[in-house]
Amino acid sequence: MEIVAGLLNGFAVALEPANLLWCFVGVLLGTVVGILPGLGPPATIAMLLPLTFNMNPAGAIIMLAGIYYGAKYGGSTTSILMNVPGESASVVTCLDGYQMARKGRAGPALGIAAIASFVAGTVGVLGLMLVAPPIARFALSFSSPEYFALMSLGLALVVLLAGRSIVKALLAALVGLWIASVGTDLFSSTSRFTFGQMELLSGIDFVVVAIGVFALAEVLANMEAREETRLLPVPKGLKNLLPTMQDLKDCRFAFVNGSVIGFLVGALPGGGSTIASFLSYGLEKAVSPRREQFGTGVIEGVAAPEGANNSETGGALVPLLTLGIPGSGTTAILLAALVLWGFKPGPLFIPEHPALFWGLVASMYIGNVMLLILNLPLVPLFAQVLRMPVYVLYPLILGVSMVGVYSVSGSMFDLLLLMVFGLLGYLMRKLDYPSAPLILGLALGAGMERALRQSLMMSEGKLSILVSRPISAVMLSLAVLVLLIPMFGKLNAWRLRALEQG
Amino acid sequence: MKSASNLIALLALLCAQLSFAEGFKPARTVDLVVHTGPGGGSDVLARAMAVMVEKEKLLPVRLQVVNKPGGNGAVAAAHLAEKKADPNTLGLFTGVWLQTPLVSAEAKLTLRDLTPIARLVLEPAVIAVKADAPYKTLAEFIEAAKKNPGQLKQSGGSNTSRDNVVRQLLQKSTGARWAFISFPGGGERIAALLGGHVDIMVIEPEEAGEHIRAGNMRVLAQVSEKRLAKFPEAPTLKEAGFDVPVVPQVRGVVAPPGIPKENVEFWQDFFRRLTRTPSWQKYIADNQFEDGYQNAADLAKFYDEFTDRMREILKDAGIKTVR
Amino acid sequence: MEDETRKSGDLWSGVALAALGLYIIVQARQWEYLGPDGPGPGFFPFWYGAAMLGLSALLIVSHLRRVSARRSPIEWVKLGRALSTWFALAVSVALFKPLGFVISFSLLTYFIVAVMYRRPLKTAALVAVASAAGFYLVFDRALGVPLPAGVLGF
Repeated sequence: MEIVAGLLNGFAVALEPANLLWCFVGVLLGTVVGILPGLGPPATIAMLLPLTFNMNPAGAIIMLAGIYYGAKYGGSTTSILMNVPGESASVVTCLDGYQMARKGRAGPALGIAAIASFVAGTVGVLGLMLVAPPIARFALSFSSPEYFALMSLGLALVVLLAGRSIVKALLAALVGLWIASVGTDLFSSTSRFTFGQMELLSGIDFVVVAIGVFALAEVLANMEAREETRLLPVPKGLKNLLPTMQDLKDCRFAFVNGSVIGFLVGALPGGGSTIASFLSYGLEKAVSPRREQFGTGVIEGVAAPEGANNSETGGALVPLLTLGIPGSGTTAILLAALVLWGFKPGPLFIPEHPALFWGLVASMYIGNVMLLILNLPLVPLFAQVLRMPVYVLYPLILGVSMVGVYSVSGSMFDLLLLMVFGLLGYLMRKLDYPSAPLILGLALGAGMERALRQSLMMSEGKLSILVSRPISAVMLSLAVLVLLIPMFGKLNAWRLRALEQG
Repeated sequence: MKSASNLIALLALLCAQLSFAEGFKPARTVDLVVHTGPGGGSDVLARAMAVMVEKEKLLPVRLQVVNKPGGNGAVAAAHLAEKKADPNTLGLFTGVWLQTPLVSAEAKLTLRDLTPIARLVLEPAVIAVKADAPYKTLAEFIEAAKKNPGQLKQSGGSNTSRDNVVRQLLQKSTGARWAFISFPGGGERIAALLGGHVDIMVIEPEEAGEHIRAGNMRVLAQVSEKRLAKFPEAPTLKEAGFDVPVVPQVRGVVAPPGIPKENVEFWQDFFRRLTRTPSWQKYIADNQFEDGYQNAADLAKFYDEFTDRMREILKDAGIKTVR
Repeated sequence: MEDETRKSGDLWSGVALAALGLYIIVQARQWEYLGPDGPGPGFFPFWYGAAMLGLSALLIVSHLRRVSARRSPIEWVKLGRALSTWFALAVSVALFKPLGFVISFSLLTYFIVAVMYRRPLKTAALVAVASAAGFYLVFDRALGVPLPAGVLGF
């Protein structure tokens, strides 16, 4: 089997001492970069590019890829400990991860994040290795109607994230859609909701809103009470600082869920790790026996999105390496890097440069193992961060938030936006509006509108294109079903009450 | 003795003249401002330029890239305007800097408010279809578009991008009509073409290279003045019989307002020297750019012509211009 | 599970969101709804604005219909503490330009520790200086991530 032969060759390349070293450097750097909110793999890789000119290409791509998937491991750290999303893919991890930390289960949360990342990351590489060409063809068949249906399905999950009041959750999601519209319309170059500010012409950065609505709002809410000095209990003993066997059992489906959804969504050029993690979280919640507890600190709620954003890496490399099409920001830079070194990713890349491709694949297996070994022992260490007195921790969270936002674009205006959204997030908490739907609406809004308009342009105005194509029809039906589930629940409750009273 | 001292005085005078002609020299690290984040098109070019400058030892100081993303280029332009009279800050502009002020009222600065220094490159493009498309020439596509107005589709960027400009010019000159569907990223545009969801696209030659080599894409024509070295068979628009102007995609350098004349001259000469270096020549050959060097005065003229023509094209296309 | 308490917040937020929905609809009408090539920039905003208006009306109505007498009072003290922290944060960001991150952040930390948590002033000063220095050393020095710099250069 040529795959086996290729892989063996790949390991020969990846296990060369120099390449092993680059792999380690890459994953270590990636972990650090992922932990820091704001600064992300694209910026880091771009800054390291000039240094890679004199390296051998195999070592260079191994290192850069290591940064890419290593960052996904680190991104969950601040999400869990501080409710500060490390990057846009880690936003969903905040939902249950931080709640687990509040209950003294930061260690298990961090641990399961690392384990899920390892499992799903490895599955992602397996997928890249085994099914890349057919997946790439499948991804090409995905067009705007399918993207619209996918995003609608994602948005329908709002209902599952609703908590007590569906009306408020929907309103939050609509506000998210509104924020996503701020900026210049791609199709007509019209400025929408920019209030005359030129900084808003390119829209509002997702990370800024997420950090404001999650982290800042959380700190402000905690400021209300002065009395508690050690808010977050950290249990002693190594046993309590890592996931238990029961935890691992609970996450069985989450591992599968995260791996599959992350890989498939990552392979779509219009997909991304944010959508993948939301979909995976939503699916996990839909099938979990304890779905009402999601959002209060359920471990599968951490495992699923964390797995998804890691296998997404493998998925995103599928269109890049089989077709030369970059799917996301980071893959675009990897493309630029490959071009810079004289390789041209495209359909002929793998046949013409098998050593490079298989070396990369093999190094990703090795890298994931390295990351697991690197991250698990750090879990108890990181969990200790929460033993700080809150009057030290909360200013720290504020500082990390501000630095994170500033490091994205060096803009004071973004800090201003952070303030605004921090206040908004706090008010939402006081008024019982769930913030996850707002973030979901923001993440999906722009893509959804674009996909809808593109679809109608393709069909010359006929809405039927959305249901005449099989894949999009199926996904839209699922979305409708998801929206109707709680309706049934409420109708049932209403009926039962009517029966009682009547 | 007198002749010797005369000679020394003459030499001293000559040296003084030479050092005066040296004039301005950057005293600290030079900032090159780009409007994209790390990894974006301008950022990659700027970083490559910084490496070249160091390799060819063109400056006594370092050139460093400063990212000021946001506002579709307006934030970077505003940053430059703030650095009034600072001779150690430069900006790498692209077509976006020229177009955004035309259509967005919030972007108040145009290139005229900054100091033009030099135009560096022109980026040609090719018009491509999927390999199994029934069109062998651009004329065949136009014919098909005329028979089915509005049904054929092109994938591209925003409606002010060069992709749409080429389409508007061709539509106006031939009377054909086809749809334009915007996608935010190059990857998505290519995927739309390769997946058969659109019929045609305007694409950079570098991006198309591998797909053509693999037999997935075919080039119908080139959007450039002369045929590109790597595409000897594809006709230019003029050669193919379409009398449309080649509206180029440009990159160049500007400086903050209020720079004294000697600084302008220094920088324009510096960039001329840069474009003559072997590393630069290799870079633009590799990326299939065209050398489009113009000095400051010519750049200013080019800017006026370009914006006037863009304004006309946008108005024809029904796109509202604000300046 | 229904809310037993009737929060006045529901009314105000409902009104605010209805106003926002209305504003969005008005703006959307100024843009093209359906253009020759497809939906214009006014299409999507119109619909989510309308949905916002409709849902917030629903919220207001359901609030007014709940006749339960138990109203949760606004806890002004708590709100005050949170809002003063926010205000301090805003002030410190405003001070970034003149004073730079390091100094502004240490002032903010001092405020939080001393005023919000009523710790002894020495502790507050210690925490403030240590945190600010920590940020400077880790981000600016070790990682090369620029922090907002004031007139003093850091």
